[in-house]
Amino acid sequence: MRVPPLAGSSNLAQGSPANSPDCTGSDATRRGRRQLRVVAALLTVGLLLTARLVQLQVFQAGRLAERANRQRTYVDILPAPPGDLLDRDGRVLATTVKLHSLYLNPQELSDLWSVALELGDTLKLDADHLYERLSEQREKKFLWIKRRLTPADEEAVRKLPLPSGAWGFRDEYLRRYPQGVLAAHVLGLRDIDGKGRGGLEESLDTALRGHDGRRSLIRDARGRVIDLADDGDVPPQRGTDVTTTLDAIVQTYVERELDRIVAEWKPRGACAIVQDPITGEILAMASRPTFDPNDPESVSSNIWKNRAVAWMYEPGSTFKPFVVAGALERGLLDRSAEIDCGDGEMRLGGRLLHDTHPYGRLSVTDVLVKSSNIGMSQIGARLSNEQLFATIHSFGFGRATGSGLAGEMPGLLRPIKDWSSYSNASLSMGQEVAVTPLQMICAQSALANGGTWISPKLVLSAASRPDTISRWGSIDGRLTSAIRRSDVRLPSSVVSRATDRATARWLVEQPMTEVVRRGTGTRAKLAGYTVFGKTGTAQKLDPETRTYSQTKYVGSFLCGAPAGDPRVLVLVVVDEPATNGSHYGGTLAAPAAAEILRQTLVHLHIAPDDIQSARRVPQLGPEGAD
Amino acid sequence: MYFRFGSALVLVMLMSFAGIAIEKQCLALRRAVIRQQYRREILGDEYARLRLQTQQLGAPVRLFDTLEHGRPERTPDESPGEVGSGRPSLLAWQSGQHADQ
Repeated sequence: MRVPPLAGSSNLAQGSPANSPDCTGSDATRRGRRQLRVVAALLTVGLLLTARLVQLQVFQAGRLAERANRQRTYVDILPAPPGDLLDRDGRVLATTVKLHSLYLNPQELSDLWSVALELGDTLKLDADHLYERLSEQREKKFLWIKRRLTPADEEAVRKLPLPSGAWGFRDEYLRRYPQGVLAAHVLGLRDIDGKGRGGLEESLDTALRGHDGRRSLIRDARGRVIDLADDGDVPPQRGTDVTTTLDAIVQTYVERELDRIVAEWKPRGACAIVQDPITGEILAMASRPTFDPNDPESVSSNIWKNRAVAWMYEPGSTFKPFVVAGALERGLLDRSAEIDCGDGEMRLGGRLLHDTHPYGRLSVTDVLVKSSNIGMSQIGARLSNEQLFATIHSFGFGRATGSGLAGEMPGLLRPIKDWSSYSNASLSMGQEVAVTPLQMICAQSALANGGTWISPKLVLSAASRPDTISRWGSIDGRLTSAIRRSDVRLPSSVVSRATDRATARWLVEQPMTEVVRRGTGTRAKLAGYTVFGKTGTAQKLDPETRTYSQTKYVGSFLCGAPAGDPRVLVLVVVDEPATNGSHYGGTLAAPAAAEILRQTLVHLHIAPDDIQSARRVPQLGPEGAD
Repeated sequence: MYFRFGSALVLVMLMSFAGIAIEKQCLALRRAVIRQQYRREILGDEYARLRLQTQQLGAPVRLFDTLEHGRPERTPDESPGEVGSGRPSLLAWQSGQHADQ
């Protein structure tokens, strides 16, 4: 059977351009163009890639490298332990121990309530409050739970089934005061962030604090630490150890005597200072009420004040020897002069001055021994106001002593233009002037050491520990020495002339020794030592009536020994004794001051200078064998 | 040619192995140093804790009452090596402790 050809098929077969010789050239051209387009496209892509590479590697290289580095590395701050505070014999007054603080990463926690419940039970925290905190800060990656855990708490937390990666410990330092309340006001304390508050902790904060270190950690994409970076490793620089002038033994004597005063007289406050008059070094300083620096949360605002430097009072009779020194030094008063104190009363303008008893004529020594106000007003009257002001100022009153303790007050000495017609007499009796106990003992030191006022010294030395070792074991001596040079700035001593040597020696060896031998300070007599001293009993100003109170007093006693070569000075000030009885400084403060003086002299191995009196009393007491 | 190629390959491999060995040793030393540093930190912390405890126990305020009202009580030395040795312990400083020996 013959199949008829499809319509047009012969035409297709015959007339197909592909089979024709004319079509071969156009195919090649088309292929060539296609290849050209592919090559052009590839070239374009290549060029674009090259351009992008150039952009990334050349123009944006620095920024991108920094960004990548930031994502990859993490800088961990290594806290520096604060330096220690030591007493003059190396006993530790304040030191630092490392503890762990617990934190959580709320983002990694799924069951907040169970975590809050478990941690609440273990760490004695309020689980509801903890749950609220976790819920509120769910988006955060770091949340403190409890800082400075005890080792027992830390061990208990480690045993909890907390999800991995959602919690951790960080090292923190805790300041501890191994001597307890001893010298609490002088030392101050450190708050939870390690910042010094009060006392030497605050005034020497820069030196004590040290310098935090840092290390760079390399993290993976999930934030886990995989390595330590080689660069950027700075070891923490421990704070400087500061040796104070305090003697923990003497400080303990002082604290015990103040506790006895508080128990017996229930005063509003009290303070005591022991000083070496030759060097100005403070051997002990204490204030009541006091606090335990190991329990900073218990410190209320009313017991924070260091009364030895931050409390001002009218000194009363303890001020009188300085006025006498001014008159003697200027030749306005002779040591053998007699002062007419009359019948115990003297009218001064509209004011009536009183003495305890009618004394008649008194020698200069007896004016101080009997603490005659009338006699002192007459001695003061021999000085012009300018001379009296200069005398008072030369003994360091009216300005801060420069002890460097935080909160030190400058006292109050009004300028002469503000004085009234009674001011000369008032100042001669220790009124119309406000002093701090530290100013008072420094002024007395000037008399005891032969007339030189020396600023009080609380810091004996400061030294960095050369124990800074980097992660690679090398001692970073350069860093240590640089910090040692720049940080430790000890207050320098200020020395000025207060009065002449002869006047100072005479006042100490004659009137002030007689005060203890037969005057108002007989309770301060010590077997074996010639004690000099001066009592002070000052009425306090009643803020309501603006007159001197008849019920509120400040009793003080300032003493030292041996009179021939004073080595120790003691000041005890008692503010507003509450119990009925005596309010005199000779009764309130003198026995405590004498006991502190006796114990300190024995502790410092200062030989008795009055052998005859020592023979009369064979036993010195418990410390006699020291 | 094969010998030369093989020698070059072996040389390259030996250098690589040596590099790896040195790198591993370096890492091991680095780990050891870090471990020692960590131990030193732990010992330092322990020293600080013990120092604090010593100072607390030896604080004058704590010792005064005992010192003023008589000698402090002292636990007798019970170390086995000293029993019957006839020689006083270095810590048995108080006279009379070995008077009957």
